[in-house]
Formats: sequence, structure tokens, C-alpha cells
Amino acid sequence: MTEKKLNKKYNIFTEIWNKYNYILIFVVIFIAFILINGSATTWKTLVNIPRHSTVIGIIALAMGLIILTGDIDLSVGSQLALIGGLTVMVFNNTNNIVISLLFAIFSGVLLGFFNGLLIGITKMPAFIVTLATMLIFRSVAQTVMNSNKWTIYQLDANLSYWKKLWSIGNASVPVINVPIMVIIFFIIAAVVTYITTCTKFGKKVYAVGSNEKAARLSGINVRWLRVLVYTLSGVLIGFAVFLYVANVGSVDPATSGKNYELYAIAGVVIGGVSMSGGKGRLLGIIFGSMSFTMIDKIITALGVNPLINDTIKGLILLLAIFIQMLPEIISKMKTNKHMVKE
Amino acid sequence: MSILRMTNINKSFYGVQVLENINFEVEEGEVHALLGENGAGKSTLMNILGGVYTRDSGTVEFEGHTLHNTTIKMAKEAGIAFVHQELNVVNNLKVYENLFLNKEIINMFHKLNKKEMIKRTQELFKDLGVDIEPNELVDNLNTGKKQLLEIAKALFADAKLFILDEPTTALNNDEIYHLFSIVKKLKDSGKSFVFISHKMPEIFVLADRYTVLRNGKYIKTGYIKNTTPEDVTRLMVGESYANREVYEARNLGEKVIELVNFSGEGFNNINLTVHKGEVVGLTGLQGAGSSDLLQGIFGLKASTGGILKVFGEEIHAQKIHIAMKNKIAMLASNRKENSVIPDMDLLENTYIAEHTLSSNKQHINYKKELKKYLDLKQRLNIKDNNQKELITNLSGGNQQKVILGRWLNTEAEILLLDNPTQGIDVGAKTEIYKLILELSKQGKTIIVNTLEIPEIQRVADRCVVFYHGKIQIILDRQDISEEKVMLYATNAIKNLEVQYD
Repeated sequence: MTEKKLNKKYNIFTEIWNKYNYILIFVVIFIAFILINGSATTWKTLVNIPRHSTVIGIIALAMGLIILTGDIDLSVGSQLALIGGLTVMVFNNTNNIVISLLFAIFSGVLLGFFNGLLIGITKMPAFIVTLATMLIFRSVAQTVMNSNKWTIYQLDANLSYWKKLWSIGNASVPVINVPIMVIIFFIIAAVVTYITTCTKFGKKVYAVGSNEKAARLSGINVRWLRVLVYTLSGVLIGFAVFLYVANVGSVDPATSGKNYELYAIAGVVIGGVSMSGGKGRLLGIIFGSMSFTMIDKIITALGVNPLINDTIKGLILLLAIFIQMLPEIISKMKTNKHMVKE
Repeated sequence: MSILRMTNINKSFYGVQVLENINFEVEEGEVHALLGENGAGKSTLMNILGGVYTRDSGTVEFEGHTLHNTTIKMAKEAGIAFVHQELNVVNNLKVYENLFLNKEIINMFHKLNKKEMIKRTQELFKDLGVDIEPNELVDNLNTGKKQLLEIAKALFADAKLFILDEPTTALNNDEIYHLFSIVKKLKDSGKSFVFISHKMPEIFVLADRYTVLRNGKYIKTGYIKNTTPEDVTRLMVGESYANREVYEARNLGEKVIELVNFSGEGFNNINLTVHKGEVVGLTGLQGAGSSDLLQGIFGLKASTGGILKVFGEEIHAQKIHIAMKNKIAMLASNRKENSVIPDMDLLENTYIAEHTLSSNKQHINYKKELKKYLDLKQRLNIKDNNQKELITNLSGGNQQKVILGRWLNTEAEILLLDNPTQGIDVGAKTEIYKLILELSKQGKTIIVNTLEIPEIQRVADRCVVFYHGKIQIILDRQDISEEKVMLYATNAIKNLEVQYD
């Protein structure tokens, strides 16, 4: 009897662990961050964590949505370069923030729809399709820039609305002193979390990722759902790119958004979303991407060689996955000793 | 002489006693059926024998020697072969390579001697009467042949006792027949078998003796020839057997489904009318077209001709969604593969199908959904801890009830049930039959496809027998008998007629 109770307790522990381990990882890294920063910690250093996570965080949310269906999108970084570059051109030619925003979102939708069509309807593997579009999108961005004899896509600071655009990416809301970007980030995160947890569409996404065949036999149009997921992710990426442009002011197709697909996947995984699809919560991705930003900041604060950055990020990723899988590893070791699952 | 004697076996997991003083004995050259509901302890007992689990106490004697601290390897070496439900063959290797895996014959230069291996494989298959090409890739074999390969592998390792764990679930009737003939052949040459199955007809054809376990306790051992399927079932289920479902004649309503020369992939020129409140059983050999017909009606398989009328209106159900809108639901066969969404909880699993019909309202009203679930839970007698439990935590029978709930949730009027009792234990099967009858009384129109004729006898008003994609005959309830159905399902009736001509 007591053993049975213990066993039940163990299960509850495992369940909580599986659901909230991303918070634990976040807290541990946060404490390290505070300790290293010491007395230099100010309100600004704190709000800079979500602020510097905004672009990659929104992209990671898009990636998370796709990963929930069991697919992947390797082209997000290249999408940033292409959409970003074109958005800069649109702003420079129109001097209009709304048109630039709509253009960025529309471009995201178009690229996402293109990926989704190839993956959902023609059923080509997502990994290969987005690997190909990853090459295509960045190369197009570079070619367009090159044919205009530019070395970089740069916002024209002489335009009358430039300052307004710049302030969206850099200014803070007065009184509460929180960057506008952070507020947008949290609103988007809340909306995406709502979509995945409280809407029928969201549950269908989970169903397709968990068992595609059963989802189809339940009446879900799996092909179009995939197209829809990539398109919706395109909306998010378009929005993120607009914020990137507003924040940085320029796009260099050679470097902008490079490795973002990998950072986004890492944020998703640290956020506790399973790569095989159907498992995990997008809320975790916010914590996952912020954890990653803090690692960046810790490395800068320590003043170590920045080239070591990816080594540490890689190690943290391994550690995070190890921690997440710990209950599974323990129970597997136990069962191997005593029994094999029937 | 007994080849295996297990005495007073005890085993508990995490303080829960799953086996209590079990005695189990197998004679040399016999097929011994090990019977019990899911969770009765059959698999645990056999896993102890096979060295997968260690027993807490008790003795195991095999060929007169006591086995201590058995490991999987030791059990194999002693001559115990465990043929699992999930086959352990390597799909990417050829047949002979599987047979000689880890025991390859090599020449003096350590090069594989393929010729010799293929020759020996052929000899073994010839002895067994198995028709498998040694050079064939295992992936290309059907499940039945894979099963035979598994047995051949064990035979090759000089096994004396074979544990067959539900060997026939994935086989069609021809393959089952073949498997049984091989088992009988091996039995005559002195090999012994432990046969685990839920299918009574098979047990009564194949086994010599039986042992029944219930809730981890030993109940009875006896000779098959001295008992009946009803008696054995009663022993397995215990008291709950009393509340058995009762078929009652009902007044049928209007025409709900009309098929006129309905054709598609796997079925041809089907003419069938089903009325409101009727239960129609479809049967035939595997691949005869009955399952394909259900898929055709549900829009999963494109129809290539003919008319499908639902509630008097012709529909072109080329998509599942159209079928669902016309109040058709299909409980697919192969629950794990086609129905269960493993990462979702019970509530989510029950509302997912209904949501595709009501997707114009996107927000999920949790309270409303929960109420619907609790209703279904009561109606279907789903045994859960709460609605947030993962569906994979439930037993097969309860999972099937949840899936049935998924379709009742769509308020479907027509239920197409494809092999609804697949892989669930006797008690749960009885519950499913009961539900089918209850639902039909409430006015649902039900078409059940199953290979098990006793199942049809228990619930169906009519029985449609398929052969090669066509309806062979439609039998009324009073005419349904196993012999008759088999006669038509195997087309033996034609052969008889030809002979008489």
C-alpha cells in the first residue's frame, strides 16, 4: 500500500516536472545572471532580457507551432533576411510604417504559405523543403541587394517617419518604463498560447502532431491544417521581422538572422516542446528563448572570448534536455533492472 | 511427462501482488491454452518463464531441472522460445539472414557462407511446410509469414517449448489455418506450446488443455474436450459474466443507408439497404471487402461507381468531412494506429472529431465539453480517474469506449464499427456488445465489421457475407451459423454446387 502511494507520488512529481521544468531551467540561469551581474543589476538590465528575446522569441513561437505538428522550418533565419531587406526597401520608398508592417506580415504569409503548400499538399518532407527554401530566400535577399549595388539594407534616417519606426523598436512606454517591444512580445505570446490551448484549431494542431492518421480519421483535414500552420507561423515571422527592422534599422543578408532557425529550435526544446510533435506547451518557449538571451548576457558580463558563446549555448542545451529527460531516464533504468514493459 | 512445472509463483510490482501462488504445468507434446482477461497475469507469468521478470518466490522446473535466477538468455538456451505479439524480426534483412542472425555460418576466411545458409533455410522450411523464399527481404513478407519465420527461428535454436502470445491477431483466416497446421505438426514431433489467445474458437480447435487465471490467481486447469466456450468464459470473467447483454427484436424504422451497385477500391456492386435502428454484421475473410466498404461509405476510399443514399438523399462521400456532416461515424480498426491520440487526455480525445464539425466557433468552452464528457462516461461506463488522464493509461476496452464516445459526441446517427472488439478482453467485449444493442434501441443505425462470427450472432439482425469484394449472401438472424457463414466466406458453397452439377 505504502509503496503504491509512493509510486503515485513519484508519478505526480514526474508530471509536474514534465510540465514545468522550463521554469526551473529559467530560474537557475536567472539566478546565475543576477549573481554575475551583482550590484550592476538595474531595472534596465532586467527588462533587457525580454527585450532582446523578442525577435527570436516570436520566431521561436512560430517554430513551436510548426514543431507541434511534427514538422520543422529551417528557413526562418533566411526569411528574416529576405523579408527584412524588402521591408527596408518598402519603408524607404513609402515612408509609411503601417504599409511596411503589412508588407512584412504579408511577405511572411506568402513565404509560409509556399513552404506549407509544398509540405502539406505535395507531402514533401519538411526538413528538405525548408532546407531548400533556406538557401533560396537568403540568396534572393543577397541578389536583390547586390543588383542595387548596396552592401546592406539600411533604413533611410532622413525620412520623416524614421524616428517613429525607430522608437517602436527601441523606446520604452513612459511611466511603467517597459520597452514597447517587450509589451508586443508578451501580447503575441499570450495570443499564441490562447490559440494553442483554448481553440479548436490549436487542439487539431496537437492531434496531428500526436497521431496524424487518427487525426485524419477524426475528420481533420490534415493537409490544409499543415498549410494553415505554416501560414500562421508566417504571420508571426513577418511581425518579428518588422520588429527586427525597427530595432536594428538595417538588414545584412550575409549575417542577419543567421543560425536563427537553430536558436529558435533550441528555444522550443528548452521550452519543453517535444520535437516529435504533439507534446508540450508554447508558453514554455517564452522562458526558453529568454533563458538563451541570458546566456548571451552572462557571457558578455564575464568578458570571456565571445567565440566561446555557441559552445556554452550548446552545453546548456544538452544540459536542459538531460534535465528534462531525467525522470524518463531514471524510470527506464529502474525498469531495466526489474522488468520490461509488457 | 511434464516438460514445465511452475509451482507457487508469486510476483508483485511496487507492492501490488500481480501473481499469487500460481501453478502451471505443461505436458510434453501438448498445446496448453493460458487463459484470462487482460491484467489477469498471463503475460507476467510468461515473462517470468522467459526470464524477462524475476519471480519473488516459487519454483520453475523445466525438463526436470530447476531454473534459478532465469535470464532471457538462459531461458533461450534451456529451450524456451517466446514468440511475442510484436514480432522481433529484422525487416531490412533477408529471410535467411534473420534465421542465422548471430549464428552466421562462415568459411575459413570469415566470409559468410551464403549458399550453405540458404540451403539449410530451404531444408527447414521444407520440413515445416512453409512457403517462404529464403532470399526474400523480410519487409516484403506479410505478417503471417513473419510469424512463421519467428517460429522457425525458435525451432532453429532447438526450442522445446514455444510461448505463442496472441499469435493470430494480425493474421487472416488462411494464415491462421496454416499456422495451426504447423503447430499441430510440431506438436506431433514432441514440441510443446503455451497458447495465449482471446479467441475462443481458436482455443477450442488447437488446444489440448487449458489453465485459467483471474486477477493474478490460479483458477482452474482442465481438458478442452471436457468443457465449453461458455464455461471457460465464465471462469475467466467471474461474476460479471452474469450481466450478459440480451438481444431483443426491435421495430426498424425508415431506410437510412441505401447502396445501389456501390463500387470502389476493394468492393464491387454492393446492393444493401439498412434501416434505422438496425444492426448489420459484415464479415468475410480478411481482405474480402467488408472493411473497404465501410471506408467507402465513410469517404476514406473513393467510390468508383454506384449510388450511396443516406436518409434518402444521394451523397458523394469523397471526403470524411462530407460523411460526418451526413451523420456518419466510423470507428476504425487498429485502435492504436488509427484512433488513439496518445498525447491527448480523455476529454480531448472525445471532443476532437466533433470540433471539426463546429469549427466556425473556435473557442473551446471547457465546462460545456466537460459536461458532455461526463455524460458519455456514464453512458459508456468508462473507467477513469479523471478526464485529464492520458488515454494511453486506460485498458484497451476503455480506450475503445472513449473512441466510441468520440463518435457519439458528433451526434452521428450511423455508426460504422470496424472490428470494434479487436485486442480487448472478454469482459470489455461483452460491454461493447451491450452498448451496440443499447445504441440500436436508441435508434442508431449500426454496421459492424468483424471476422468473429459469434460476435455477429450476439448482436446482428442480419449478416452480410463478403467474398472477393462482393456480397455473397445476406443471412437473416435466425440463419446465422458459423458453418454457414464460413461456407459462404470461403466460397466453398460454389465448389459444392460445382461438384453436384
